[in-house]
Amino acid sequence: MTSLAAAQVQEVRSITRIERIGAHSHIRGLGLDDALEPRAVSQGMVGQKMARKAAGVILQMIREGKIAGRAVLLAGQPGTGKTAIAMGLAQALGPDTPFTSMAGSEIYSLEMSKTEALTQAIRKSIGIRIKEESEIIEGEVVEVVVERGIGAGGARTGRLTLKTTDMETNYDMGTKMIDSLLKEKVQAGDVITIDKATGKINRLGRSFARARDYDATGQQARFVQCPEGELQKRKEVVHTVTLHEVDVINSRTHGFLALFSGDTGEIKSEIREQINCKVAEWREEGKAEMIPGVLFIDEAHMLDIECFSFMNRALESDTAPIVIMATNRGITRIRGTNYKSPHGIPLDLLDRMIIVPTAPYSHQELREILNIRCEEEDCQMSADALTVLTRVATETSLRYAIQLITTASLVARRRKATEVSMEDVKKVYSLFLDEHRSEQFLKEYQDEFMFNDGSGDGHQMDIMH
Amino acid sequence: MKRKICLIDNFETCKEVFREKLNKKLSVNMYMNTIWYKSLLNADKSCIKEEKIRKIHYKFDDDREMVEEYNTDTKVLLRRAWKVKGKLGCDGKWDVEVGDPIPEAVISNDCADIIESKDQPVVTRRNTRVNLEWRIRNLPYPIETYCIKANNDDKCIIVSTTNKKYYKKLQVPELKRLGLNVDQANIQSSHKFNTLIIMYKKPQQLLDMEMEWFKEVEKVKPIKDIPNECKTH
Repeated sequence: MTSLAAAQVQEVRSITRIERIGAHSHIRGLGLDDALEPRAVSQGMVGQKMARKAAGVILQMIREGKIAGRAVLLAGQPGTGKTAIAMGLAQALGPDTPFTSMAGSEIYSLEMSKTEALTQAIRKSIGIRIKEESEIIEGEVVEVVVERGIGAGGARTGRLTLKTTDMETNYDMGTKMIDSLLKEKVQAGDVITIDKATGKINRLGRSFARARDYDATGQQARFVQCPEGELQKRKEVVHTVTLHEVDVINSRTHGFLALFSGDTGEIKSEIREQINCKVAEWREEGKAEMIPGVLFIDEAHMLDIECFSFMNRALESDTAPIVIMATNRGITRIRGTNYKSPHGIPLDLLDRMIIVPTAPYSHQELREILNIRCEEEDCQMSADALTVLTRVATETSLRYAIQLITTASLVARRRKATEVSMEDVKKVYSLFLDEHRSEQFLKEYQDEFMFNDGSGDGHQMDIMH
Repeated sequence: MKRKICLIDNFETCKEVFREKLNKKLSVNMYMNTIWYKSLLNADKSCIKEEKIRKIHYKFDDDREMVEEYNTDTKVLLRRAWKVKGKLGCDGKWDVEVGDPIPEAVISNDCADIIESKDQPVVTRRNTRVNLEWRIRNLPYPIETYCIKANNDDKCIIVSTTNKKYYKKLQVPELKRLGLNVDQANIQSSHKFNTLIIMYKKPQQLLDMEMEWFKEVEKVKPIKDIPNECKTH
């Protein structure tokens, strides 16, 4: 049953996929049922039931949107699915809730102070839903033509012809528009709306005039009337923008100076204050609605003491988002101090957090995850090869085992086999060292490496202190 | 008996004359009572005089901005443009209501990834002393194709074509502001050089108001020393 569903999903995705396959691209949600109980294997999630259940509760809290400025810590060993849970949460929240993902070390930049980077991240995680009048093009597609420019790097140009019952117009399109038209699979006979400002395309259905074009149409084909009157109309549409986007729009230098200032850099606090006032005004008048989102900070132990104390303060604001941090450290030094603390996070911040632990995966769960990754990376693997790979995962690490999937499938393809066999896995296992074997190797041959005068141990001791 | 009729007759004509007078008086005053005229009076006005063009910048109470350009010889409005501000506060562009569009210095391609092709019909407005005029360029169809109708539900003029290639609702803000109806009898049109020209005869009310307003505009003192750093000789 699940495999059938997975196959269907696979089929649909293979057509529309533009993104590349990332480490967590197999995750499509938290894998919870309607009562927020975790299913064993669902939406790319395997095992980790307690943590997922906790994430489900947090999901509910975010959706209700009443509680501001809570912090959640995902703590666990490397490769136990902390980032996966955060990604799943983002997917489950849907595209309308802002979800900002950053790594702890991202805040260290020469162009921006640490607190500015954090403030921007926080403001990126708060959305405002606002009604605005906007130009909408609504019509039936007569023709879509995409031409590739001359030469290898020639820019694509496109022409779109739309009509209503009363008129017909040609439009020129840029690359971005062509991409989104292709992604939506817009074809002649579809009735679509295009938001002229944002370029968002919405397919309303197929025109009644085209109802007889095909004998067989999908169940989801909806037939609508061809629109009347003018193609372009002014309509009230609801936009979701983040506070940071509003900041940027208002902080741009006006006039021709805008040409020379590409990056936004730091945003003045006066502008932020003005915007906060404006937003408060809109909310009072019922023109806008605030959507608190999620700020996810991976590798949170990389933040230093200044950031932590800033977070303490920032979380108390009533416009703060839900902050989720993830760390794989145990009791360790807090960056910027000489004090040790659990997870490398000061106790006062830890006290404000709810901590969700993740535990190492069982043998069976590892096998399931590897299976999902095989599907994701489009790789056929025999059962015994998967067994070997699972053993590799238990003995070394899950990440290393996942690395072996595509490499093994490439080896299998070279000998013109469709399925990855045990031998292929063994071959790549011998070709590529895991972290443990590499360490062994180094210990054996340490003396033959560069800059080794035999006092390496003493140097290491220095770092430890 | 005869006398009585005569009296009634006389009375009727008297009434007629009175009504006419009343109407005239009303019509003189009516535009002065519109919200539009009052907002013009109350707006912050500043003026620049450039050779034969008088440019007036209006800042209204509700923060909207408008610019008008008058030819000082003919007293005709050459251009009227409104500043459009995004709700989120991005800096505004000028939306031209009457007159030639302002050529953009920098073509911004950050937002609109879809625009009408160059060969598609374009509407521009240009008023004369007695007419409101619309020019729709790039319309190659012969004059019989067009059907130009006054629509008083939306207070606009609807241009449609029998071949279903073009359809446009032309707003008539000048009439809307004075609360006047669009009268089919005032509409004239002609077609040449791929351009459809639609003329609407300005009603008396509008003429009166424009006359009056031009006098008002002349009272605004132009700013004398303009730093014209862009002038090159």
